[in-house]
Amino acid sequence: MEVYREEWMGDFLVLEYKPIELQKPSYAIISLPDTGLVGVISAWHITKALQLSEVGGLDSYTYLPPIVVVSNKFLRTPIRVFSGGNILIIYSEFIPVQQGLLQLSKILVNYMERKGVDYVLLPSGMPIQNRFEVENLKTYYIATTPKALELLKNMDIEPFENGFLAGPYALLLKEFTRARLNAILLLTESFLEFPDPEASAKNIDVISRIIGRHIDVKELLEQAELIRLRARDAMKNTLRGLAQMRKDVEYAVPLHT
Amino acid sequence: MDEEFERLFKRIREIERNLREYIEDEFRKAVRSFREDIMYIEGMLAPMWHYEGYLRPLYSIVDRGSYYEINIDLPKADEQSIDIRFSSNLMYVRARLKEDVGFSGLSGRGGEARFHEYREVVELPIRVDPQKVKVIAKRGFVKILIYK
Repeated sequence: MEVYREEWMGDFLVLEYKPIELQKPSYAIISLPDTGLVGVISAWHITKALQLSEVGGLDSYTYLPPIVVVSNKFLRTPIRVFSGGNILIIYSEFIPVQQGLLQLSKILVNYMERKGVDYVLLPSGMPIQNRFEVENLKTYYIATTPKALELLKNMDIEPFENGFLAGPYALLLKEFTRARLNAILLLTESFLEFPDPEASAKNIDVISRIIGRHIDVKELLEQAELIRLRARDAMKNTLRGLAQMRKDVEYAVPLHT
Repeated sequence: MDEEFERLFKRIREIERNLREYIEDEFRKAVRSFREDIMYIEGMLAPMWHYEGYLRPLYSIVDRGSYYEINIDLPKADEQSIDIRFSSNLMYVRARLKEDVGFSGLSGRGGEARFHEYREVVELPIRVDPQKVKVIAKRGFVKILIYK
């Protein structure tokens, strides 16, 4: 596929394979590797279920490993962009090094503003120690604006009120708040160190209600064990990055709430 | 004169301490970097699958005070076939898959292989007394409690 547009934003190269025009109201879903790969699995399933097409990508020779993704004979960037209708998905199985994550967060804020995205959804997991025993997973949320909060009316999810967040979504949340963009972080209880498709299914259910489009998770749940099996390498690579980002802080109890 | 010597020796001791701290710090950084390099090389040479048809599972070891908790992710494993053995501070894990699995669509490498079981050897922080071990298997996960 030919490149329609390319632009350097800081140390990141932003590519588009065709013009990206989103219908209104538009939603972006950002998935970066984090707790239980919950965001990555969620975005992967949504991309498949809504049959979104690959429209662009991001790469960095400074902050990402020297990797090229080969997909159906086409060369793709490590961070991929999918779109269709009013949905835009940023998908990556690779986590940039910590110094690059801040720059990537700022670039994503800029990119969302330029594409006129109305709402940004950040699906992630919240590690719980007894995940092995828990079957009914709870989802928590953090909204950056009152307008974003409006979207969550009448949903059976709880606000995340006190505690620490660490990792890529913590940075994204800070940057989206600073830019006053309407963003919602979804945190579903999950494993930290194992891929968790069940937690992803719970996040997808909430996303489905937010965007008003039915996304079937039956296949995801049926294939959960196979996804866990295939995601072992991605999970192993993610854990190295998360350890550097002090993910252990999330279990810590704040003195002042 | 004595005071000047005292100040001089104090300054020398301070420089000596700073130098020692600097060397120790640099040494720690070098060791950490070397360990990371070794870890990456080990990972490169021992991927999560083997061409002879076995997979390596993800696992974690957590110190819970009075016991160690080891969680192993064994998706698609036949729970009846899970075999955990201990020898000294090593834990041997084997489990058959419910059905053979392949990574379809992947060119070369693992793309043509079919996998039929999990195999792993886990180095534990303590020597294990098998009498003090509890194993729980559920939904493709195994939790092993090793009491201290």
